[in-house]
Amino acid sequence: MPDIPHRPLPTSPEAAPPQPSAASPTRRHVVQGLGTGTAALALAGLAPSAGAQAVPQGGTGRAGSATPSAHTPPAPDAPRFFSPADFALLRAACERIFPADTQGPGAIALGVPNFIDAQMDTPWGRGELWYMQGPYRPDAPANLGYQLPYSPQQIYRKGLAGVQAWMRQTHQAAFETLPPEEQDRILEALEHNATQFDGLPAAVFFEQLRTDTIEGAFSDPLHGGNRHLAGWTMMGFPGARGDYMDWVDQYDTPYPYGPVSISGETA
Amino acid sequence: MTEKTLSPVDVVVVGSGWAGSIMAKELCEAGLSVVMLERRGRRSTARDGAYPSSLDELEGAVRYKLFQNPADTTVTVRNRMDQEAVPYRRLAAFLPGAGVGGAGLHWTGVHFRATPQDLRLRSHIVERYGRAFIPEGMNLQDYGVTYEELEPFFDRAEKVFGTSGEAYTVGGKATGKGNIFAPDRSDDFPLPPLRDVYTAHLFRQAAAEAGYHPYAMPAANASQPYTNPYGAQMGPCNFCGYCSDYACYMYAKASPNVNIMPALRRHENFTLRSNAHVLKVLLDSTGRKATGVVYQDAEGNHITQPAGLVILAAFQFHNVHLMLLSGIGKAYDPVSNTGTVGRNFTYQNITNSTVWMPPTRSTDQFIGSAGGVAIDDFNCDNFDHGPHGFIGGSPLWVNQAGVKPIAGAKATTPGVPRWGSAWKKAAIDTYRHSFTINAQGSNMAYRDVYLDLDPTWRTSYGQPMLRMTFDWKDNDIRMNRYVIGHLEGIVKALGARDVQYGMREEGKPFDVRAYQTTHLCGGAVMGEDPKTSALNRYLQSWDVPNVFVVGANAFPQGMGYNPTGLVAALAYWSAYHIRTQWLKGNGGPLVTP
Amino acid sequence: MNSRTFPRITPPASLAPRHNTQGKHRRNTGFSALLFCAVALSVHLSAPVFAADSSPVSPSASTPAQPIPATATHAPADPATQDLITKGRYVAAAADCAACHTAPAPGSAPLAGGYPFALPFGTLYASNITPDPAYGIGKWTEAQFVRAIREGVRPDGTSLYPVMPYPSYARMTDADLHALYVYIMHGVQPVAQAPQANTIRWPFSLRFPLTLWRWMFAPSPEAARASAERSFASPELARGAYLVEGPGHCGACHTARGMAMQERALTAQDGPRYLAGGAAVDDWTPPSLRGEPRTGLGAWSEADLTAFLRTGRTTRGSAFGTMEMAVHHGTQYLTDDDLTAMARYLKTLPPADTKEQPWQADSAASRALLSGSRLTQGQKLYLDNCAACHRSTGAGYAPAFPPLAGNPVVMNRAPDSIIHIILHGATLHGTDAAPSAFTMPGFASRLTDAQVAALATFIRQAWGNNAPAVNDMAVTRMRKTLAPPSPHGSPEENPEKNTVTGGAENGIHPPTDAE
Repeated sequence: MPDIPHRPLPTSPEAAPPQPSAASPTRRHVVQGLGTGTAALALAGLAPSAGAQAVPQGGTGRAGSATPSAHTPPAPDAPRFFSPADFALLRAACERIFPADTQGPGAIALGVPNFIDAQMDTPWGRGELWYMQGPYRPDAPANLGYQLPYSPQQIYRKGLAGVQAWMRQTHQAAFETLPPEEQDRILEALEHNATQFDGLPAAVFFEQLRTDTIEGAFSDPLHGGNRHLAGWTMMGFPGARGDYMDWVDQYDTPYPYGPVSISGETA
Repeated sequence: MTEKTLSPVDVVVVGSGWAGSIMAKELCEAGLSVVMLERRGRRSTARDGAYPSSLDELEGAVRYKLFQNPADTTVTVRNRMDQEAVPYRRLAAFLPGAGVGGAGLHWTGVHFRATPQDLRLRSHIVERYGRAFIPEGMNLQDYGVTYEELEPFFDRAEKVFGTSGEAYTVGGKATGKGNIFAPDRSDDFPLPPLRDVYTAHLFRQAAAEAGYHPYAMPAANASQPYTNPYGAQMGPCNFCGYCSDYACYMYAKASPNVNIMPALRRHENFTLRSNAHVLKVLLDSTGRKATGVVYQDAEGNHITQPAGLVILAAFQFHNVHLMLLSGIGKAYDPVSNTGTVGRNFTYQNITNSTVWMPPTRSTDQFIGSAGGVAIDDFNCDNFDHGPHGFIGGSPLWVNQAGVKPIAGAKATTPGVPRWGSAWKKAAIDTYRHSFTINAQGSNMAYRDVYLDLDPTWRTSYGQPMLRMTFDWKDNDIRMNRYVIGHLEGIVKALGARDVQYGMREEGKPFDVRAYQTTHLCGGAVMGEDPKTSALNRYLQSWDVPNVFVVGANAFPQGMGYNPTGLVAALAYWSAYHIRTQWLKGNGGPLVTP
Repeated sequence: MNSRTFPRITPPASLAPRHNTQGKHRRNTGFSALLFCAVALSVHLSAPVFAADSSPVSPSASTPAQPIPATATHAPADPATQDLITKGRYVAAAADCAACHTAPAPGSAPLAGGYPFALPFGTLYASNITPDPAYGIGKWTEAQFVRAIREGVRPDGTSLYPVMPYPSYARMTDADLHALYVYIMHGVQPVAQAPQANTIRWPFSLRFPLTLWRWMFAPSPEAARASAERSFASPELARGAYLVEGPGHCGACHTARGMAMQERALTAQDGPRYLAGGAAVDDWTPPSLRGEPRTGLGAWSEADLTAFLRTGRTTRGSAFGTMEMAVHHGTQYLTDDDLTAMARYLKTLPPADTKEQPWQADSAASRALLSGSRLTQGQKLYLDNCAACHRSTGAGYAPAFPPLAGNPVVMNRAPDSIIHIILHGATLHGTDAAPSAFTMPGFASRLTDAQVAALATFIRQAWGNNAPAVNDMAVTRMRKTLAPPSPHGSPEENPEKNTVTGGAENGIHPPTDAE
């Protein structure tokens, strides 16, 4: 059971509304300083950004890609799985999902796109950790889980190609060349499943991207993301320490030491 | 692929988790030759729990290194009988283990006994509230074994597991600590309780202030270095926070691997075969006697292992699956309400509530263990159900087993964007300043919630998949909402700045996409009546008396507590009766129907 | 299950110092000096390259307990022979034959040879001492066998390399050697497996100079026996001395060696150099077994010592490296009486260094680690790599994870062991009495040489420890000589094997500690 605390939400790539499926939380109070997110469930196509309305007062991050960051983004490492065009789109999208802002570096500085690129060439990326035998029932109720015939590699290939085609159609421009606000609107549309890409619902692609961006930002740097342990530093996670014997009952003192990685890197 | 028949052995044990390891150890001690078959590979703490390389959230909790791969075998799921079930293609809602140690390697270590009420729930409810209190369609049943009968075996399991906890009474004498609702014990826990992490400490104070009765959760995480009755050693838990999903590098979390295998492997009459996937139990022409099992090895060969006694000790639903595939007992049919194999399939009714504390203090959620602080005021029948009209209950607890940042960041908060700067800010705030209170509740059995064979999908071994038909029912939804309703007093006493109550809602079906718990139960339950149970009170098949089926499959309904303590005690109970009765008899039934 | 034989002694699955089964060799750096001297003494050409060192031996004990690499062999023996086999198996455990004569690879046939001893001029391989007539010692008469063990002379008259501890075995009694012979001939499965050829280069491959060495340094059996029969305060001490000085051959590692690699003392009678600590073997430094309060066994009780020899683990420290093998293959099988006798005898040895002060706890390092503030490099490295198991207090969680504070091997003048174990880790195998295996991972891939040096220095000087600092060069040197570590360090066994039995099916005890 203790299983519980740490896997709080579905974050499943299905086109489900962004809320927990097992049990619906009833939030009695709203976090101060955050908007109510009225449009959170809007399923409109290119409706005005729900997310943008919920920017905290004095919010910083959404306004542009030139937000200050703790680390200068490194030169884009060459992808091994994705084509340069796919990778350019992936980088831009990851950075909007996880932007550099006053909280800390964004997805690119953290190496998230390269993390995703590297994950493509793993048993998971090839779909070997999912049951991938037919028949497929893509129209089954969403709560019964993923029912598409696509591996993560295929989700990315289809999703990235689909977004590129969609951008050519609607914007006559590549996603990565658009202003951040416009990029956000497009991502919101994907999040709310405004279109589909050759059998792949846009929301499935978006959820995969969101999930993998988070994993790249916060997994051990040995997987290619969380560069300089900056993701963990931001979260306040001490990393691969695995020892709180002296601190467990020091109730007046928060744990004092910064993160360390599996390779021994410290922040 | 070739076929081969090995020389016969006394016992074949299917599965190497807690149930299988306990049975194998007991039967080796009885002098029998025992072959244990494990579907997946070998494990070693030195490798699978290496420090610090195993402290890898992506590998452990996201890519599921220690878990069953659905590509290999999975189940199909539907909510209702009029739906088509579809495959559970990606792990999420529940996570069965794979490899030596099974789920016993990746569990957290919460180690409860069952309560006396749980074990005879039907009788208890009828006695207190009358037969009419049981809703139509609910298959409420007794286990056929009482707490008093199982007590020595609970005690044995705690000593083997190196369990840390605080007793309420020992031999009828109060200790001044512990859970006031806990039944009496013959002996104290082998180790004192783990220390409270900060959030558990907050919960303990707030729960007491709200008028409830907090206690330290019993945990099979050693609070000190420990040597168990088998001579197996444990290090102490250092609250590293990598309990669930990981092998414990401190050798502090009890597992078959740490607590039993080192001694089991020294028996000359023991053989472990890994990468041996059992396809079915073989029966003789009468269908009343098992002759062994056939399994598929790593090279795809089909190997027959003849045996005089077959112990099914795989994960709950694999045991049921093997019984259905082998024709042991009659498959359950919900329409005619006949048959027992697949009947009384249950889960656990858990919802999680999040509490945000003032930003002046970090909650240090990464610190964790299987310990924690719980209240039982709303568990079992510890309160009067009469006015409420439902059966069952939930403990409430803070059981912080270590929240790592991927899981922390994936959590979303209604009303807050799920990505972008606003999300980042909220995610960091939540990770640093919140914590979770769980209501882990009972789940009753119902006529139309069951397991059977799927008509469409097949496993990678070419066999029909197991099909789950499962949904939440009104009784369980109301129970959960009632319990969560009482959290408010605690939250108030906590001085929380914000709270998000997690609770069941009418019309929200069971959802496989979010992790809930791996505490799947039932499907081949124990009991006193062969019409409503697949196994007798010794976990012996009513139909094939040289087959014993050990695991949470035997629970007639899901309880509020974690199942492992009861699984272990039932294994010792069953083994004891095999050793003292079955082996001395003619191999027939231990209970005459 | 066919056979009921249950050999409790295992082929050394993988011991701490060995990572890949082939790649790691037992090394005694002094041997080059020895052979060089010896060769310089003579230019006689002789014995061709062949099996290097040889056989085992040892004394018997009161109550023969568990066995060694037994395997039901030939025809079932008569009860008298069976009794001798049982006794001889016990002698073989006391003499620790298997540690060298069974190859390290998991599943290796017991006593069939193959353990490599790496020397600067080539590699020596332990010989096959199974009773196979062609490849083992099946054709040896008992007299030939006894002479090889006590005097280091093979049936063909050539000398054994003194890697074989015949200067110690010279003390063994006729009765023990008879039992051992019977055991080897009738209780060990013959293995028709050629010993791996030594790769010792000429002129070091010459055996003749070894004969000179023997004349100069090895005691005659008569002299050895005489010393064994000296008077003791109690029969128990006599027994302890016999076990330690004779079959146990503790001095082979724990006594310093002279210019020609001769042990500088062979018994307690020879003075305070005896068991006062030796030079590194396989890059593990054998500590003093005498009464020094910090670097010897002065602070260890008799109960600590017997627990250590029985299980390899105590509240004061755990066995690792080559000593772990001695426990694994040998001492764990001795009776309580014999272990107590050994412990009592060791406790009679006064400190060689009479000025050494007892270890006294000092909490400064623990306080620094608990401060939550800025730490020195050594402190920080300790916190990031070691404290999880060994605690900020250095007390460990004994007996599961050993203490570093006050631990004699940590404070040894020579830093070899501490560097070695930081780089490569170690596995403590399960024993019959303590079946759990514990593995410390290696940190070679996580730490630079300078970091290892800073960390080792911290450990050697924290909590009241006071051993000399460690410099980077020592780490660099050690890293070069050790075989490459496995990724992230854990000395892995063989968890891939699909079938593991208690021995009934293949006659071999489960070769690994994989769970």
